[in-house]
Amino acid sequence: MTDLAELSANEMRQGLDARDFSSVELTNACLNRAEKLAGLNCFTTLTKTEALKDAADADLLIQAGKSAPLLGVPVAIKDIICTAGTKTTAGSKILANFIPPYDATVVKKLRVAGAVSLGKLNLDEFAMGSSNENSIFGPVKNPWDQSLVPGGSSGGSAAAVAARICPITLGTDTGGSIRQPAAFCGITGLKPTYGRVSRFGVIAYASSLDQVGGFSRTVTDCAHITQVLCGKDPNDATSSDKPVPNFTAALAKGVKGLRIGVPREYFVAGLSPEIEKAVREALTTLEKQGATLVDISLPHTDIAVSVYYIIAPAEASSNLARYDGIRFGHRAEGKMDLTDLYSRSRSEGFGKEVQRRILVGTYVLSSGYFDAYYVKAQKARALITKDFTDAFRTSCDVIIGPTTPTPPFKIGEKVSDPVQMYLNDIFTIPVNLAGLPGMSLPCGFTSSGLPIGMQIIGKHWDEETIFQVAAAYEGATDWLSRKPSL
Amino acid sequence: MVSEDEVKKIARLARLEIEPEFIPVATGHMNSILGYVERLKDVDTTQVEAMSHVSDTTNVLRKDVALPPGSTKPLEMLSLDSIPQQDMLPTEALTKNAPDSSGSYIRVPLIVE
Repeated sequence: MTDLAELSANEMRQGLDARDFSSVELTNACLNRAEKLAGLNCFTTLTKTEALKDAADADLLIQAGKSAPLLGVPVAIKDIICTAGTKTTAGSKILANFIPPYDATVVKKLRVAGAVSLGKLNLDEFAMGSSNENSIFGPVKNPWDQSLVPGGSSGGSAAAVAARICPITLGTDTGGSIRQPAAFCGITGLKPTYGRVSRFGVIAYASSLDQVGGFSRTVTDCAHITQVLCGKDPNDATSSDKPVPNFTAALAKGVKGLRIGVPREYFVAGLSPEIEKAVREALTTLEKQGATLVDISLPHTDIAVSVYYIIAPAEASSNLARYDGIRFGHRAEGKMDLTDLYSRSRSEGFGKEVQRRILVGTYVLSSGYFDAYYVKAQKARALITKDFTDAFRTSCDVIIGPTTPTPPFKIGEKVSDPVQMYLNDIFTIPVNLAGLPGMSLPCGFTSSGLPIGMQIIGKHWDEETIFQVAAAYEGATDWLSRKPSL
Repeated sequence: MVSEDEVKKIARLARLEIEPEFIPVATGHMNSILGYVERLKDVDTTQVEAMSHVSDTTNVLRKDVALPPGSTKPLEMLSLDSIPQQDMLPTEALTKNAPDSSGSYIRVPLIVE
C-alpha cells in the first residue's frame, strides 16, 4: 500500500469523505514521514500534539457530514508566517523565541478551510536568500540530491512537498522565493498577483513585493490552496477586493486559441542548455494542444536584478528597523547606552546576509544617494512593469519561460559571492517588480536527474489563465510520476 | 564605490555594530552589489514616473472601532467569508514576548544614572 503521506490533497479529501482513512491516520503518516526525513531539515518546529488534536477535530466534523476545502488535510507553514501560540522565528536568532499572540490571516484561512498544520518550515532568514543556507536552523537539503540546495527562500516549504511529507505548504515570494525552490524541487508553486492574498501577520521583508502563495505537486492542489488563500482582508489595506474567480473551473479549459508569449530575453547566454531544451519542448507540447507561440520582447529584463537589489534592501532596512531588542526579540546583555543596546542586539540577532541587505538599503536611502539609487530604481521598475503590460496588451495572454537559469547548485557553492547568488532570480524578480502572478511548474529533468521548472506568468489578476495552461500541460506530460529516492 | 569608513558610517545609521575584522568583507560585498547595480545609470528614465508600488488602491480608510478583549476564536468551518476581524489582544499577550517584562509593562535597561 502506498504511504498515505504521498497522496495529493485532492486524493486525501476524496479518501476522507469516502471514509477510506481518517485525518488522524493521514496526519500520523505525514508526521512519521517528517520524522523519518528529519535529515532534510525541512521543519523548524513540528507541532505533533496540536496536529493530532486538529486531525481528531477534523474527523469529528467529517463524521458529522461537514465539508470544507482542506478538511482534515495535513499542511505546513513557512516560519515567517505568524501562528498564534507556535514559535515563529523567520529563521533568525533575533526572533528565535518569538511566539506570536495572533494568527496571520492566511493561517486563519487555512483553519477555516479545515487544514491540519504539522508545523513550521525552514527558510532563509527573513526570506532573504535563494538557497535556504541563511537560516539559524541550518540549510535545507534538496530531496533529489542532498548535496544540493532546495532553493530559497521557501526551501523547507518546497522540499517538504517534494519529499512527500505533506501535499501542500505555504511560502512567500518577494523575488522568486516560491517559484525558484518549486523549480529546484520539481513541484508546483504559485505567487499570486500582488494584493490577491493578505500579508497581515506575515513578517515583512519588502512590503511592495512580498506575497504569500502555495506549494503542491499537482496543479489541482495548487488551485485549491490558492482559492483558500485569496481575498480581501480588512487588516491588509493592500489586499484587493477584486472578486476571486473559481480557479478549479479554469483547469479543464484547455489552451486552444491561447497566445503564449515567449520572451527572447529569457533565452540568452547563461541559460543552461538542458533547461532551454526542456522549456522549448514544453512550449511545443502546448502548441500541439492548440496554443499559438508568439515571440515577444521584455527589453528591460537585464536591469531587473539591479532594480530589485535596490528596492528590496531599501524596504527591508525600514521594515527591520523594528527589531531593536526592546519590545520583542533578542536583547544584548550587559550595561550599555541605548544606541549600543540597539546596535548590539541587532548585530547579535541578524545573520550576515540580513545585515548586508540592511547596509545596502540604508546606503541607497541615505541623503546624497537617494535619487541616484532609490528613485532611479523606482523609475526603472516602472519600465519593467510596462514591458509586461505592453506585451499583454499587444501580443499574448500568458508568458512562458524558464523559472531559473540553472539547475539546483551545491550547498556552499555560492555563499561567498552575493551577486552570483542574486542572479538565480533573474527570471522571477521582474514578476514581483511588476506585481504579476507567476507559477513554476515541473517541465522535465536534467540528464543527471535534477528537476527543471518553467515559469508561467499571467496578467494582473489573471491566475485563471495560468491554471488553464498549467493543467493542460500537466495533463499532457508525466513528470509527476517521478519521485526523489529517499 | 564605498570606503571602509563609509561602511562604518552606514552601519551606525542602520544601528548595526560590525565586527572590525568583518568591515573589509562587508565593504567588498557592498561594492560588488553597488558595482552590479551601476548598469541602471545607462537606462534612460527621463520621461518615467517613479513607481513605489503596484497596487491601484490608495488611502484605504475605515472607522477606528475598539473591540473588546477576546480569546482565540474556535475552529470556524464552512465559510471562507467568515474570517473574523482581528480580536483585540490583552496587553500581556504582547508584553510576554519582550526580552524583559513585568505584567503589562516592558522593562528596559537603565540609561540615565
